[in-house]
Amino acid sequence: MKKYITLFHINWQNSLQYRFSLIVYIFGYSLYIGVLLYLWSAIYSEGQSVGNYTLSELTTYYLLQLMINSVIFSYVSWDVIENIKDGYFSNFLIKPIDYYFYWFTVNLSGKILEGLFIIIAVGIISIFFRGHLTFPGTSAALIYFLISVILGIVLSFEMDFCVGMITFWLTQVRTFKFMLQTIILFFAGAMLPLDLFPDFLVRISDFLPFRYLVYFPVSIYLGKINNPWPSFAILIVWILVFYGISRVLLLRGIKRYEAVGI
Amino acid sequence: MKQLAYNIFRKIKRYLHLYRVFLSQNLKEDMIYRSNFITLAVMDIGFVSVSVILFKIIFTHVTSIAGWTFHQSIILIGSVGIIREMAYLTFRRGFLELGNHIRKGTFDTFMVRPIAPNIHLAFRHISISESFGEAITGVVLVIYGILHLNNWTWVSIPLYIIFLLNSLFVYYGFSLLINSIVFWVIKTQELNTIVYFFMETSRYPGDIYRGVGKFIFTFIIPIGIIATVPASVLTGRTSWSSALIALFVGISFLTTGILVWRKSIEHYSSASG
Amino acid sequence: MSTSIQVKNLSKTYEYFKKEAGLTGSLKSLFWREKLYNEALKGISFKIDEGELIGFLGPNGAGKTTTLKILSGILYPTSGEAVVLGYVPWKRSPEYQRQFSIVMGQKNQLWWDLPAQESFQLNKEIYEIDTKTYRNNLDELIELFEIKDILDIPVRKLSMGQRMKCELSAALLHSPRVLFLDEPTIGLDIISQEKIRHYISEYNKIKKTTVLLTSHYMRDVERLCGRVIVINNGIIVYDGSVQDLMNTYGKHKIIRLRLSKEYTENGLAKYGEILERDGLCVVLKTGKEDIAASTARILNELPVEDLSVEEIEIEEVIKKIFTG
Repeated sequence: MKKYITLFHINWQNSLQYRFSLIVYIFGYSLYIGVLLYLWSAIYSEGQSVGNYTLSELTTYYLLQLMINSVIFSYVSWDVIENIKDGYFSNFLIKPIDYYFYWFTVNLSGKILEGLFIIIAVGIISIFFRGHLTFPGTSAALIYFLISVILGIVLSFEMDFCVGMITFWLTQVRTFKFMLQTIILFFAGAMLPLDLFPDFLVRISDFLPFRYLVYFPVSIYLGKINNPWPSFAILIVWILVFYGISRVLLLRGIKRYEAVGI
Repeated sequence: MKQLAYNIFRKIKRYLHLYRVFLSQNLKEDMIYRSNFITLAVMDIGFVSVSVILFKIIFTHVTSIAGWTFHQSIILIGSVGIIREMAYLTFRRGFLELGNHIRKGTFDTFMVRPIAPNIHLAFRHISISESFGEAITGVVLVIYGILHLNNWTWVSIPLYIIFLLNSLFVYYGFSLLINSIVFWVIKTQELNTIVYFFMETSRYPGDIYRGVGKFIFTFIIPIGIIATVPASVLTGRTSWSSALIALFVGISFLTTGILVWRKSIEHYSSASG
Repeated sequence: MSTSIQVKNLSKTYEYFKKEAGLTGSLKSLFWREKLYNEALKGISFKIDEGELIGFLGPNGAGKTTTLKILSGILYPTSGEAVVLGYVPWKRSPEYQRQFSIVMGQKNQLWWDLPAQESFQLNKEIYEIDTKTYRNNLDELIELFEIKDILDIPVRKLSMGQRMKCELSAALLHSPRVLFLDEPTIGLDIISQEKIRHYISEYNKIKKTTVLLTSHYMRDVERLCGRVIVINNGIIVYDGSVQDLMNTYGKHKIIRLRLSKEYTENGLAKYGEILERDGLCVVLKTGKEDIAASTARILNELPVEDLSVEEIEIEEVIKKIFTG
């Protein structure tokens, strides 16, 4: 257990090198929100409205989506892919460390650090754009939101890890990942809130786990979901399912790695 | 005066010639990874399709965005694709590789040859395969959009191309400015994200901006004009003033970009180890 | 004989930031970092005439690469002057750039996936070499470097030695008057190293190109150069003929032994000067001329388990120059 805590710390040190990032974050986010604000204002000023979202709800949706991109979405698969392709994976096989939990820890420590950065960035942005944003109505909503974010981090990690595992079988995994990424973003509600979609797309998105990455947490935040418990239940089922898939893929993958000597 | 013009003419001729040579070498290199061509093209078509679907969905809820109809917006998206493709055929990939070159120390190669480093960097990485898909979809979208317009003219096509070129200069100048930062602050994964967002947000019609925003997004981060102005020319939404402003922005970004870049290389050569 | 390179009081200081270890160190570094200075060059001066083949020798970090980078215009000096072929290098004028070449060992300038031939073609265009001159030079270089058979093979498939030959050829296509070589033999096997040294030496003899070559291998300099400049810690500690340097300091070889039985100092003394003794491991220094005889004696008379013969370290030579 101790080795994972050390790993947590070292990863923080690594990430803190990027002091420049913080400035870019705040600046970049503000500009992006500014652009979106103009976009939606222009639409709303013509007496139109988008779904059942008010202007400030829509703006908040995108601000949150942007943050969630950094906080929930896991990017470790890029490292996993590189690990396996250049043979560095062998180092893990000979050490008494679990590959899954190694990356889980690295990912989690990275996300918590990002979270801290983002809380700072959001704090500043919220002050600027005060009148234009929506905040959670009840403290319960805020707590549910935080829970959904943490669960989202776990789910995203698991799915990402599975994609990384595919490297054992597929050489063009990076291209595959790019294409998959777009589909995931689309059905996560990262590009457009899911309830704006035409019916048949909504039904597809309900069936997939990606909605829990963006649409679900943000909806809780905006107070659009009064009883999140049924959804939490489904979310936990997905988490268990993907944990299982991750483990199976890892086991099979190691066997293949050792056989083929990639 | 005449001598100056002659020199400039000779320089342009030389760089055009060099471009041809580098283009053929890059093409040969691209050909080695033939499968990539198709996969990248497919991916590009995929990405653009998603953009179009998103706009279509938005337009099921609204009828216009700051006065732009669905088909006019399609022309906008198509124009962004065309500009991106032109960028990949010239400088885009080069800037993406800049960080690697500096890290590995190979950027020094660009500094010791008798070609301007920014041009050498750009030409070295001309990418045909990455622009292919976007080029095709871009043109298809623009044509599709035009066919559904009821007030376009043949005259607008050459004007459109001129303003596309102008937008390319804006994009290039902007990229130079952002990428110059690499010479001051070495760790720079974010830079490419900034440039990426630049083109992403230029899909929204520039007419949505008002007041301070209009100023910022026209003169400082010109996402409001880079795709909007050429598309306006085609859709008949343009005015003399916006056209002139666009040209002004094009020239100023290009010159500022080159100046800042040169200054940054000087800094690099006094500080680097 | 005209002057090719003139350097006066050249100094170069780098700034860098100190980072403390640990998490608190990283957090602190977000707000404030201690600036430190590294004086890479401390006022060096030398003069090189046209056609000379000079070795620039020194341990790692001595300032060799920094000097080359300044002379090729990649870096600005902090103070001092340098003039190459009448130009100030860091102005990077195209006229100057067309007259020199720099090859840095391990840093490829050739396109990785294409045959070397393609990169040559590109250089022709970049340096605006006319077709006739290009063909002549190319044929000459193909013959000298013996690269006829490997021109059509993608560079990434070539061995390191072959790659270096192509890199050098590419660098010489435009008949530069000055050639800077930074560690050209690093990472190569012994045979390739010898070959590269041979090519460089031949080229210099035929074309009278001024060559400035850096290395931390004594052998590079020994075989190639008439004159050597030794630099250490940013200061020139020796500037003179290789012959003299070898005669004074390079006369020795190092023999590392692992014995199966302990021996006294007295017992070992007759085989050479004892540099180190650690249990069964002994390091001796002996004269170079009778190295074969010495080794034979040692193998015959001592219970040797393992023996290796090494060059005297450049650091040794430099230490000697300071003290001797």
